[in-house]
Amino acid sequence: MKNKRYWRGLSERENPQPDTAQPEFAEPPAVDEGFDISLSRRSFLKAAGFSLGGVLLSSCGRGPVGEVISSLAQPEELVPGRAVWYSSTCAGCAAGCGALVKNRDSRPLKLEGIPEHPLSRGGLCAVGQASVLGLYDDHRLRAPLSAGKPCSWEALDAEIIRELDAISRKGGSVRVLARTITSPTLKAALESFLRRFRDGRLVVYDPLSCSALLDAHQSAFGLRALPRLHFERAGVIAGFDADFLGTWISPVEYAAGYRAGRTLEGKPARQSRHIHFEPRMSLTGANADERIVLGAREVAAALAHLALDLARRAGLPAASGALPACPIDAGRLRGFADELWAARGHSLVVTGANELSAQLYAALANSALGNYSHTLDLDRPSFQRQGDDGALQSLLAELSAGRVDALFTLDANPAAELPRPGAWRKALEGTPLVVSFAGRVDETSALARFTAPDHHPLEAWADYEPVAGLVSTAQPVIRPLGDTRPALESLSAWTGNRRPALDLIRDHWRGNIYPRRKGAGSFEDFWTSTVHDGFAEISVPAGRAGAFRPSAIRPAAPPSAAAQPHQESPAAASGLQLALYAKTGLLDGRFSDNPWLQELPDPVTKIVWDNYASFSPDAASRLGLAQGDVVRLSAPSGAHLELPAHIQPGQHDGTVAVALGYGRLGTERFADAGPRWLQGRPTVAPGMRVGKNAAELLAFDGGPISFDIGGVSVSKTGARHELSCTQEYHSLQLPERLASEPGETRDIVRETGIEEYRRDPSAGNKQEHGHESLWPEHVYEGHRWGMAVDLSACTGCSACVVACQSENNVPVVGKDEVGRRRDMAWLRIDRYYADRDGGTDVVFQPMLCQHCANAPCETVCPVLATMHSAEGLNQQIYNRCVGTRYCANNCPYKARRFNWFQYQKEGRLSNLALNPDVTVRMRGVMEKCTFCVQRIQEAKFEAKRLGRPLQDGEIRPACAQSCPSQAIVFGDVNDPGSRISRLRKDPRHYRVLAELNVQPSVGYLVKVRSRAGNGGGSEHG
Amino acid sequence: MIKGKHITVFLLVAVALSLLLAFSAGEFRLPGNDQGYEPPQPIAFSHRLHAGELEVPCLYCHSGARKSRNAGIPPAQLCMNCHKSVQAPFAQVRAEAAAAEKEKRKPGKIVSPELRKLYTALGLDDSLSKDPSVTPAPVAWRRVHNLPDFVYFDHRPHTGAGVACQACHGPVEAMERVRQHSTLTMGWCLDCHRGTPAAAAPGGGHSHVTTDCSRCHY
Repeated sequence: MKNKRYWRGLSERENPQPDTAQPEFAEPPAVDEGFDISLSRRSFLKAAGFSLGGVLLSSCGRGPVGEVISSLAQPEELVPGRAVWYSSTCAGCAAGCGALVKNRDSRPLKLEGIPEHPLSRGGLCAVGQASVLGLYDDHRLRAPLSAGKPCSWEALDAEIIRELDAISRKGGSVRVLARTITSPTLKAALESFLRRFRDGRLVVYDPLSCSALLDAHQSAFGLRALPRLHFERAGVIAGFDADFLGTWISPVEYAAGYRAGRTLEGKPARQSRHIHFEPRMSLTGANADERIVLGAREVAAALAHLALDLARRAGLPAASGALPACPIDAGRLRGFADELWAARGHSLVVTGANELSAQLYAALANSALGNYSHTLDLDRPSFQRQGDDGALQSLLAELSAGRVDALFTLDANPAAELPRPGAWRKALEGTPLVVSFAGRVDETSALARFTAPDHHPLEAWADYEPVAGLVSTAQPVIRPLGDTRPALESLSAWTGNRRPALDLIRDHWRGNIYPRRKGAGSFEDFWTSTVHDGFAEISVPAGRAGAFRPSAIRPAAPPSAAAQPHQESPAAASGLQLALYAKTGLLDGRFSDNPWLQELPDPVTKIVWDNYASFSPDAASRLGLAQGDVVRLSAPSGAHLELPAHIQPGQHDGTVAVALGYGRLGTERFADAGPRWLQGRPTVAPGMRVGKNAAELLAFDGGPISFDIGGVSVSKTGARHELSCTQEYHSLQLPERLASEPGETRDIVRETGIEEYRRDPSAGNKQEHGHESLWPEHVYEGHRWGMAVDLSACTGCSACVVACQSENNVPVVGKDEVGRRRDMAWLRIDRYYADRDGGTDVVFQPMLCQHCANAPCETVCPVLATMHSAEGLNQQIYNRCVGTRYCANNCPYKARRFNWFQYQKEGRLSNLALNPDVTVRMRGVMEKCTFCVQRIQEAKFEAKRLGRPLQDGEIRPACAQSCPSQAIVFGDVNDPGSRISRLRKDPRHYRVLAELNVQPSVGYLVKVRSRAGNGGGSEHG
Repeated sequence: MIKGKHITVFLLVAVALSLLLAFSAGEFRLPGNDQGYEPPQPIAFSHRLHAGELEVPCLYCHSGARKSRNAGIPPAQLCMNCHKSVQAPFAQVRAEAAAAEKEKRKPGKIVSPELRKLYTALGLDDSLSKDPSVTPAPVAWRRVHNLPDFVYFDHRPHTGAGVACQACHGPVEAMERVRQHSTLTMGWCLDCHRGTPAAAAPGGGHSHVTTDCSRCHY
């Protein structure tokens, strides 16, 4: 069998060995000409004398002057220097994952998942992890604004109350525009606020709209609801352009469920099968077992054919009408239908298309398969998306016609994240009273007459009901940093009865949530235990969903995109299909002012600090495009956008893909995100923003917001825009000069198919050969720390990358430095492509310091700044390091990072997010993953203090803790009962570059795909 | 002319430096070693009186030493456990009582000026009731023992292993004002960590003393 060849970029696809013309390592910052560093004897003596004098003087000083401020009265549970964890709910998106907030000395520092939480099960995504940095954002509003000027709350309240009284007297109309609200109290408060007006209405929307999914359930089941999806119960999953592991609705919940179905447990080993149809390379598609690349319209056609096939088998009457031709081989599609049919009741068909007909076909397929109430729950529906695009459309019409007297925007930014932002801007300008609750100046609040800034979620009390029957709370973990006020309190103030948010929430719970409790106890008991746990499960009123109505499936109405003239040649310069998508981490752009998320490489493209237009390699060569060529995309609506081109393997030839959520107000400040030096280029050019806002291109004509636009023409502008990508360096491949034969490659990722795995659990793996060592073996008498990463479980979601950044004070370096190979991430996720049957396979491999027993870095350090510990850790001692960088050059895993500049600056508010348990590194020292040694020490000391031995699983590095799919296991290899010891004996276990005899402490488990004849593996080495 | 000026400047600097050296020769230390540092504190709190004469256990006030990396400075409220009744030195109170008896009057209230600072911090007046004119503000003590930012010392394992506070902090019970007793340099730490387990753990609770770099540096 021929080895599958993996490559990380298109240049590696041609030549598997690292580009030898390119330097392997980052180059030191050049000394600019004219900057004379030659030293005369005279100036050397001057400098030496000055230094000596300085040393002498400093040793005569009277010691440091520092203050210790003790509290006046210390709450019993607070001990200085000890972290306290508070249960809360992540407010990063509407998914409502459970979060524990780490507080040290009254300062929230880190968010982690609640392991017992029924949705997130301990995971927390990159967005949630990064939200703590948003708390310490110095661009947050410190006071309310009136006409753009800071004012007092009293003045603001008085003016708003006067205006509202006038509106209610004349019977005017008031609208509240909000993103999905899962808070029961806030929803009730808004309703009672709006009842005061003759014409008051709440309009809920989602920038990443799922309106069609809700509408489809309205017409098919008579209930406008989002079914709760149970991926853990699905044996066969068919995804149609739904990025459910990355950005769609509730990715942590879905990833945890997806992983639960892929544990390879049982005999024979069971694993779900995932078939995915999509036009661009999404994170979810990259994880699929079978990935079919089709244009958006063809994906919808394939779904229709599949659904009707299944309906026929189930005997459901469904009008088929005139369907477009089946875009893939009918036999192959029938094969997929066979698989789904065989898994009736435990399969799942999902589509992310915001198109009614597609969603109806998905509902039809799931009904035919009997999946409702098994893998899709309508009796306990999800509230994570509630947006109604129809209502949004009428609101825009009303506003434009000047029929609305007052508009309140709550957690909403229509002027930036919705289609036709220009129309929204005009509508906002024409509305007499616009009040925004935004915490910082965004595109909408800049146009609002008043801004009543809401608290940051970490400063406020809040409640949530993300899915029916699960309520959760959020508690303030810090005093508000500015003079902000919760929206709940503002609303109560404007109804003339200002009350604190906590009282409002408790009152609502006493009347509406407490009666639905499970178990006995007083309200106080219920409330206290819910706040303590962060969530509570309550009873759900009987389901209102009716039976499936096949009549809802009408002959497929031509989707809006299909109305465009169909081109014969899909890759011609015009007539491309545009796929607008959300990037993992940035989502709809609400956190585009968070530098951690901006510098988080896209899980697939690995590009930072930019959005771009992705083309398939074929399309790019037909259009004559190279990476970084600026192209102009023109939609039939007349909207256009200029973006750099990115060439993406595995993308549909007739599709161009652009990420939403960029080009936002407030990102201008990242001009100085990186270090300033002679040749440094700013992350954003003066006056520019990070990326371009593609909301302009969204289509919104009558139906739901359409993210797939047909008939887009592309033209080259001739300009260039460099993209910074982290996968163009740090190659683990064999340099050509070291290869023993031409074309020799190293075997870094390993994979196999489920059939092979069932026959032989070590399929795709290769035995390690024993090596003669030049060094004596280390003896580990106590603990020996090790880690195992399951490549089958890792989805590449990058939650671990942000968790590591947050835990270990990893600096942000800016776009230019990343492009110069000087990114600082201690943990990166290497993404490998491989060609297979005309398709593209993807493997994600988290790569970090491997804590080698025979560490090559240790032997070359001239000052012993990197040493081996008695517990198997490769230690990096910052205060000893003199910055020779020999260690980094000798590291085969490219896991070491050098501080080329002083990245962390004094006096920034965001410094409050620094972890006090980890040194802030200075310029000129090397750093790398420590296995979160601060957590190891903390757990050891606590165990010692309590007089008990360490327990397995007690120490979890930040990356392992955050992982939604539990792909990373850490523990004591010397403890024979530990999980890590068991995994090390797993036939799938292997170590990367074991042939170098560096004896890494990190191991990987072979990826197993649910398909036969995987073509992976390295049986021949 | 110019040359002469340079020589003068050089000589002046040399003289100044040697003078400085001569004055501080007795206390010459390498940079970063602040042994002997004894800063004045905002309240003249006497460890000699509390820890020495009155034998208040160290951990009564610095309770964090057992459960946290930081021993901690006690909150002002903790001082009030005693100082809501004790407001002045006993000798002064007795003298006033004697004088009052002699003068046939009620003894006047004596509040030590140092304790008054504590009451002010808590927003209290001399009769220990809330003084609305005073905003409570915590006391800003001067930090005596300070390690560099790249070192993580943890009190827990040391107190847990039975190392006496005095082993590092010296005879605090004899110090009027707290002074840095040890050098707190890495060599000084290692003297103990490399020494016999018995020396490291006089209490006998010793299990494993490590000299791994990452024990303290991370």
